[in-house]
Amino acid sequence: MSLLREAERCVANQYAHGFNAFITPLSRAGPWLDRVKEADVRKEEGKPKSAVDGRLISIKDNICTRELPTTCASGILDKFTSPFNATVVDQLEAAGAIIAGKTNMDEFGMGSHSINSHFGPVKNPRRDSSGEDLSAGGSSGGSAASVAADQCYASLGTDTGGSVRLPAAYTGTVGFKPSYGLISRWGVVAYANSLDTVGILGKSTANVRDIFNILNQHDQRDPTSLSISSRSRIQASIHTPELTSRLASAPLRIGVPMEYNVSELTPSVRRAWALSLAHLKKQGHTVHSVSLPDTKHALSTYYVVGPAEASSNLAKYDGVRYGTRAEGPDGDGKPDGYLFSNTRGQGFGQEVKRRIVLGTFTLSADAIDNYFIQAQRVRRLVQQDFDAVFAAKNPLAAQGTDKSAKDNDVDVIICPTAPSSPPRLSDLMSKSTKTSPLDAYVTDVFTVPASLAGLPAISVPVTVSGEKDTELAGIQVIGQYGDDQLVMKVGEMLEGRNLD
Amino acid sequence: MLRSWIGSGTLRSLCARRLTQPALLYPKAQFSSAPNRYLEPPASADRVPLRKQLKQEAKALRSHKRQRKETEEASREEWELTVGVEIHAQLDTETKLFSRAATSTSETPNSNVALFDLAFPGSQPAFQIATLLPALRAAIALNCEIQPVSRFDRKHYFYQDQPAGYQITQYYEPFARNGYVDLFDYDGIAPEDGERVRIDIKQLQLEQDTAKSQEYPPSTQLLDFNRVSHPLIEIITMPQIHTPATAAACVRKLQAIVQSCGAVTTGMEMGGLRADVNVSIRRRGEAPGQHQYDGISGLGQRTEIKNLSSFKAVEDAIIAEKNRQIEVLESGGVIEGETRGWTIGTTETRRLRGKEGSVDYRYMPDPDIPPLIIGEDLLSSLRDSIPTAPDTLLTLLIGSEFNLPIEDAKPLIELDNGARLEYYYDVVDILRSLQVDQDDKTRSSLARVASNWVLHELGGLLAKADRPWDAEIVPARSLAHLIDHLQRKLITGPTAKQVLAILFDGDHRPVPQILEEENLLLRPLSREEYIALAESVIALNPQMAEQIRSKNQLGKLGWFVGQMMRTGEKGRVEAPKAEKILRDLIMG
Repeated sequence: MSLLREAERCVANQYAHGFNAFITPLSRAGPWLDRVKEADVRKEEGKPKSAVDGRLISIKDNICTRELPTTCASGILDKFTSPFNATVVDQLEAAGAIIAGKTNMDEFGMGSHSINSHFGPVKNPRRDSSGEDLSAGGSSGGSAASVAADQCYASLGTDTGGSVRLPAAYTGTVGFKPSYGLISRWGVVAYANSLDTVGILGKSTANVRDIFNILNQHDQRDPTSLSISSRSRIQASIHTPELTSRLASAPLRIGVPMEYNVSELTPSVRRAWALSLAHLKKQGHTVHSVSLPDTKHALSTYYVVGPAEASSNLAKYDGVRYGTRAEGPDGDGKPDGYLFSNTRGQGFGQEVKRRIVLGTFTLSADAIDNYFIQAQRVRRLVQQDFDAVFAAKNPLAAQGTDKSAKDNDVDVIICPTAPSSPPRLSDLMSKSTKTSPLDAYVTDVFTVPASLAGLPAISVPVTVSGEKDTELAGIQVIGQYGDDQLVMKVGEMLEGRNLD
Repeated sequence: MLRSWIGSGTLRSLCARRLTQPALLYPKAQFSSAPNRYLEPPASADRVPLRKQLKQEAKALRSHKRQRKETEEASREEWELTVGVEIHAQLDTETKLFSRAATSTSETPNSNVALFDLAFPGSQPAFQIATLLPALRAAIALNCEIQPVSRFDRKHYFYQDQPAGYQITQYYEPFARNGYVDLFDYDGIAPEDGERVRIDIKQLQLEQDTAKSQEYPPSTQLLDFNRVSHPLIEIITMPQIHTPATAAACVRKLQAIVQSCGAVTTGMEMGGLRADVNVSIRRRGEAPGQHQYDGISGLGQRTEIKNLSSFKAVEDAIIAEKNRQIEVLESGGVIEGETRGWTIGTTETRRLRGKEGSVDYRYMPDPDIPPLIIGEDLLSSLRDSIPTAPDTLLTLLIGSEFNLPIEDAKPLIELDNGARLEYYYDVVDILRSLQVDQDDKTRSSLARVASNWVLHELGGLLAKADRPWDAEIVPARSLAHLIDHLQRKLITGPTAKQVLAILFDGDHRPVPQILEEENLLLRPLSREEYIALAESVIALNPQMAEQIRSKNQLGKLGWFVGQMMRTGEKGRVEAPKAEKILRDLIMG
């Protein structure tokens, strides 16, 4: 199939059955058509610019694009167009890719089901057996849905606490969150800077890897982008003889964290996990129980650190320099009133307000020691937990903390991405049911530890044949910092497997 | 992307008028603004001679000052005042703190702003390393320990002049700590502080400035973001100051130091430096107070006075706040920890916000900005290149080599960011080489004579013409030659002044040539010519001559000298000789 046919089919899908995946879809006609045609010529000549030359890649709406609006799914930016492109957008376009529109999401990335959007909830292209609409996961639900519904070739999302991996698990796609600092965040609207990463969603790990290799570059505009020298140091630490032999000649040592066997785990997800491990064992790899004792604090740590940074990052939205102002004069009509209290009150949605208030509290003078500072300590412990079980050293750890190799050191950790299959949208949206924000937070229990530690993690879909029907689940592979390629390789071993 | 009402807004920037000399030449002028009521014309219609009026006013002012001094002294004996100072100064840098946008004071509003300066979504800070250099110079000049690792924090508060909703500063780990500043009697400290007092500096931190906002009630606010993220240093002293005068001297000295080391461009008078003070009192001889600030315990509850923009405001605000606190405590009240403001021309501080209304800044480490790591190699090269400290210069100038009075040495150091002093050195060097043939006594007086010409004669011309300093207006060599001719009595004083004015107006001829061509060289009058001239002026006013003789009023000889200068041939009458002849003739 020509690239042009493929692209036109994707765009047709965007308009045919939307699933509300896009806030700004790609226009049917435009200069992009010529760019795809040119890519087709290059493909014919065997000289494509890259693996994504002429491919449609959708972009989460919190990543800045000069040509299309960037709303972050918020009322306060509902008409905002950024004056500049994010580095990742420039990188993709330089590689010949077409920006396939801007995808729906939870406002500013805050949510686990992509229902907290000023533009309405995203629907999962999959429905449950009774035909009910399901959650597409969040916050990159639009990106995942656009991939699952063939509305694009692949998608860029952002992953702060699982926002790429969870939607991938719910929609049956591959979602990869690289090590923190590998992909530039310049032009990525900050939710929680110290956790935010650009993530990639695709139909296969191979597609995801192609895109990752394009984006995995130092960017001097992002002060948290790893320098070229740090990158070579990390490469050197991964390319020791013991580590390069993994998968090549030596079997993998796979870790299974005891603490991840939580009560919220549904039987079908637990089964998918067990069968995935059994599958790898059959291939000659070994499975080891490991302990990550601080996991139980990770979720609460995440919900202190994330909102704290968010309350700070979102202070800039006042409708003064850009963005949507509330109607009429602001400041409650008082001469010394704030010029933007109504604007912020009207522009932000409920969940965003909740997290701003939460973060404002945890940073306040009386609470900061017990919450924010404490959370930073726990975050360090979570990272040390991982360092303690991985055979590979954390290349960013302080020099001279050489750990002695232990028998139970593992190469990767394998666990579910989410504790359950996607919930019904109707259950999530109805105010009468028992769902509270806390229920949504629990969804992130397996994804936030890797985010807190900045580790690479991928969610790949597996299917499990059940008694009545086939269940889909997302299985997550987590690796040591900088071990991104290994994580993707292991994901590839499980991706799309039908296990029984 | 700016809204048109901001983008095209014509907020007029404060014009960066260059410093003019009088204000600095005569620093006392700032302190002479006595309460206006003493200067108002008398209410009665009776004509009071101006001279008498001036005398009465001066008397009233003196008695007011004496009275104020007495009450101040009385309260000082009973109450101990404690003050700490915080100073914000704009650093002299090319770029903003976290973007490559240029710093500017007089550009078109909103012309120098980068994406990050406006807090555009997705933009990130790019720390400009060069901005660190002036900050480090200030820290070195203030004897601080430079921290090898420091970090940036976010200080949150909402206001339209703060685009991100937070200011990036260094709260938890500032880049410099534990410095000090020495204040001497000549810096204007209170007499009770003796010859010298050392004020410790707690820390220096780097931070961003805010935008300029202008209100046009009821519904218009104009914002100019050019100033946003201009690099600032905040200097925080320990609460170790115990008199208002010393607090003002401290602020003045800190400004002089950061200016002389090239850390900042403008001072308070240009809005480049602002001060906050914290003030507490405790009754002497009583149990220590309950409060502790910066590790100093036993203090009373303190209040903060924000945004003082002159040295006088610092002193007056502290006096007013101290007196207010005394009044509250003496009437059985309690001091609230609150933030107060001060308006120039008032006599009381006013409450801005109380403790319950105080802002919780929610300081948070900035997750996007890496720690600042400062190497010893950078510090040692900066230490080598830092200009000599003002105190060291002062010691040199008042020492035996130059022998200048303090009131000349200080302005030489402070004026024109050290350029005036450089010029002065040049003049003295050339002059000394021109006068190698002279005796030691004459040569040793040269430095003092030169300072008079550099400061007062040349300074006066600059002030009158309202021109900024430029060493090329009257080249040092020309001035030195002029003084050399004067010293050798080849020209008279008035001629020298006349030639200086010619040079100042742009005449580039060498001094000897000017003197030659304009026929200005002194052709001394003979004794006979002096006598003839003296007799002619005595004849104009024989009564006065008689008075001088009979009542021995030698002071009145000056009038006759003046007459001789005026009527004699221009540039030929030498005042000392004229006076001697007059004395001989009148006194006999």
